[in-house]
Amino acid sequence: MYDLSILLLIAFAGAAITFFAGAKARWVALVTSVGTLAMSMWFLGTFLNGNPLDYRFVESYHWLTFATTNGGSLAVNYTVGIDGISLPFLFLSAILSVATVIYHWEERKDAAGFFGLVALTNAGLLGVFVSLDVLLFFVFWEIVLIPMFFLIGHWGGPRRHYASLKFFVYTHVASVVMLVSLLAVVFLGQWPSLDFVNLANNSQGVANLDAANILPATQVVLFGALFFGFGVKLPMVPFHTWLPDAHVEAPTGGSVLLAGMLLKMGGYGLIRLAFPLLPAGHVGLEPVVLVIAFASIVWGAFLSLSQRDMKRLVAYSSINHMGIVLLAIALWTQLSVTAAVLLMFAHGLVSGLLFMLSGSVHHTFGTRDIPSISGMNSRTPALTTILMIGSLASLGLPALVSFPAEFSALLATWEALGWWIILPLLALVITAAFYLWMIQRMAFGPPRGVPDTAHDLPTHELLAMVLLVSLIVLYGILPFLIVTYIPHTAIFVGCHYGGPGVCPTSP
Amino acid sequence: MVALPYLLPYLPELTLLVATFVVFLLDVAGEHRRTTLGGVSAFFLIVAFVEVLADLGTWPFHALSTLPASWNGTAQGPILFTSLGIVFQGIFLAIAALVAIASLSEAEDPDGTPTFYALLLLASLGMLLVAISGDLILLLLAVEVTGISTYVLVGYTRKDRRALEAAMKFYIIGAFSTTISFFGASLVFGAYGTTSLLAFSQVPSDPSLALVGFAMIAVGLGFKVTLVPFHMWAVDVYDGAPAVVSAYLSAGSKKMGLFALFAIFVGAVRVFDTAGNGYALAIMMGGLAIATMTVGNVLALQQQTMKRMLAYSSISQAGYMLIGLAVNTTPSLSAATLQMVANVLMKGGAFVAVAAAAAIGVGPLITDWKGLGHRRPILSASFAIMLLSMAGIPLTLGFVGKFYLFFSAILAGGLFAILAIVGLLNSAISVFYYARILKHIYMPEETGSPDAHGGTRSLASSTLGSSTSPTDPQPSVAISEFRAMGYARMGVIVACAVLLIALGIYPTPIVTALNAAAHQFVALH
Repeated sequence: MYDLSILLLIAFAGAAITFFAGAKARWVALVTSVGTLAMSMWFLGTFLNGNPLDYRFVESYHWLTFATTNGGSLAVNYTVGIDGISLPFLFLSAILSVATVIYHWEERKDAAGFFGLVALTNAGLLGVFVSLDVLLFFVFWEIVLIPMFFLIGHWGGPRRHYASLKFFVYTHVASVVMLVSLLAVVFLGQWPSLDFVNLANNSQGVANLDAANILPATQVVLFGALFFGFGVKLPMVPFHTWLPDAHVEAPTGGSVLLAGMLLKMGGYGLIRLAFPLLPAGHVGLEPVVLVIAFASIVWGAFLSLSQRDMKRLVAYSSINHMGIVLLAIALWTQLSVTAAVLLMFAHGLVSGLLFMLSGSVHHTFGTRDIPSISGMNSRTPALTTILMIGSLASLGLPALVSFPAEFSALLATWEALGWWIILPLLALVITAAFYLWMIQRMAFGPPRGVPDTAHDLPTHELLAMVLLVSLIVLYGILPFLIVTYIPHTAIFVGCHYGGPGVCPTSP
Repeated sequence: MVALPYLLPYLPELTLLVATFVVFLLDVAGEHRRTTLGGVSAFFLIVAFVEVLADLGTWPFHALSTLPASWNGTAQGPILFTSLGIVFQGIFLAIAALVAIASLSEAEDPDGTPTFYALLLLASLGMLLVAISGDLILLLLAVEVTGISTYVLVGYTRKDRRALEAAMKFYIIGAFSTTISFFGASLVFGAYGTTSLLAFSQVPSDPSLALVGFAMIAVGLGFKVTLVPFHMWAVDVYDGAPAVVSAYLSAGSKKMGLFALFAIFVGAVRVFDTAGNGYALAIMMGGLAIATMTVGNVLALQQQTMKRMLAYSSISQAGYMLIGLAVNTTPSLSAATLQMVANVLMKGGAFVAVAAAAAIGVGPLITDWKGLGHRRPILSASFAIMLLSMAGIPLTLGFVGKFYLFFSAILAGGLFAILAIVGLLNSAISVFYYARILKHIYMPEETGSPDAHGGTRSLASSTLGSSTSPTDPQPSVAISEFRAMGYARMGVIVACAVLLIALGIYPTPIVTALNAAAHQFVALH
């Protein structure tokens, strides 16, 4: 009944308490994030009962009424609910915040502030994934920015001030563009309220949210704006430049949440709003979207290849991976959208792990410069082992979670585009190359750049990584555990909103 | 003989009139302490505020508002009661009360104190009259009552050379703009044959004469509202005046000018849309809005001192609000008014916060605020909330106001959408300078050595081990913070921040009331 509200309440109240908990902040943050994790696992457990096309756990309360020009009004509601698309993200967000809190267990610098901001990021993220109202969605979307701005700006690396401002300004501009185009969709589509719960919870579609009210040419413009708004977050080439800066300067936990969750907001927005709302728009812009997706895939891979800084390498490989996500979304078939969600889930776990690894490498060796470290395995076997697992997971080794995701994405690409699949495949080869090359240089060979004082992972860092590794393996071997949920969404139904699988949308 | 019930609608005005006399009498009686004079002023202002709430029917004493119900929306001679006007009375009284309370923490100043409070009350009285004017002449005279009071208010300390210079500048510009307004009013009278504000929704006998007159009135009031290009004086005055007076000017008298613009132009803008005059007035207002937003924001980007930054950002806020008049629909007026309510709390609160920071020796430069987040957590957190609200970040009232404003412009469609887009671009620019201040407050360069998590583990733990959490709840710190910066002042700052958040999360009652008020206002004019 009030399930999702309780989830948000736990998350926000926990975050607020953490700020004032002083020395006990880490415990409060842990309890909070474990609480949200428990709630999201409970959602996983009870989700599958019910009509596959409906949102579950829907709550809706009146929040605000805006006047409109002709004496009418437009309601803004607090409407929340989840479906198969949002549920994996809820779970992922809770998992990653638990892992982040554990990883930073010994954080000393303004610990209460740090844990409070991590908890607040988690709360905002949960809000984004459960909102079913345009304004509510935007509110949570923006809430996520603030803690991340402070996390980068206060706990970050040497150029953290530049990076945090750049991050904030880039993503804020993008979200403002997104908001305007969403409002335009609302007005032009003559919605009775800002809710999008009715958008697709009915296989016939709901007349008053019908995009048919909007001219195809207008749809193309609006889709372009929405695509920009979500794509900057994703990030897509050429609007990706904030990402390496933000990542390299962010503290480890910030990077984990940034790569693991904030990038997913972009993909989620595309799947939830941009594509279903404006079918004619995405058909019209399909070539542009595909070109950008291919560019992100190839460009991200090549840039990764040339990085010396381990964290920067992981950051650029995120661009590559999110390019594949964009490609899968752009194909807009049932298989490809499922693959996109699974890919984002996998990338959340794997990139989280890799950013933790680069943080630990930095702690242990005082540098993240790949060429200056070698022979890690003699001193730090645990760190090296996990580094290898993380890298192999990222390059898509079978039995690890990225494999089923990338495989299904490529399968969907083959079905829709045929031989164009060579481009992402080529990029996959490069991805494999730079990860293997990194492992080869860092893990093996004669010890160099490894101080005698270096010791292996402390327990809390190890624990956080083991948590992620076990999930990576679990979902790699049994991907159905998460894939089962994804088709439980009305986005997959019918042609009415350009639902995938039925309408011919490929070029 | 005047029957008592007919005086009841004027209760807030009468209250302030009595309060002004009481303050003057106390001065004559030799009472110069801030606690007495400020306390009396704040008391009367709050009483008047409650009366206004009663008039709006949003208070338990709803009965009071039913008495003159037949008056609501009907011109009584030069007086015109409208719900929107009463809402603005509430805004004016709120900022005046806020300033009166915050000023209790200012230094004792036996010469200046009585002047300050008396003029504050008098200026507020003028504002209340503006809000119920139904006649152009009364409206401009009431604007002048406030104007003259505020000229003196800026220089009330009489010793501060910068404040005196600011007062002089303000006075000269103010007198100049008044002249232009009245000249414009005479032309408008010539065109319409009446000065009743409700008549301006008719087609005048001589449209071009009326247009020139309206343009001159807009210029004259544009000085008050600090519209670009009539904004030059504002920054020097806000910078030179005592911070509480700046708060009053920015959050109070500017809103008065905007209401005057609403009262004169809401009907006229619509008439000039339909009477074959193109969109003359709408385009003029839209152009002023675009220029004001953009210039204010771009100049705010370059400011080094906190007060000047706030002054320029205040100019840009005026530009946002003018969008409401250019679009000229029920939602846009409602949104602009909502944005003004937010402004009372965020601009008023921010200037008071600057005064509070000055009281503990923080310099005027933005960089002087460096690291204040750790030393003064309550002040910094409140100030941060105000900045986030100005930037339009969700969960603050500033966001709701800005959202509604741009929403209304997009809703109106066509060329008005341009206003929303320019506004949004500006909003994005402004995020940069607000975030930069937050960066200084919470992320000082010195404390965070580059190896925040770098270096080897042993090094990192040794350098970071010493720092303690700034957010540890140490009641003694909080109390000392209040003591150092003044209980009254800090109370106002914290209250503003809390209200910004609370109303940002649940703005429903205000938005509902404003929608109704704006609807009546548009229908009337």
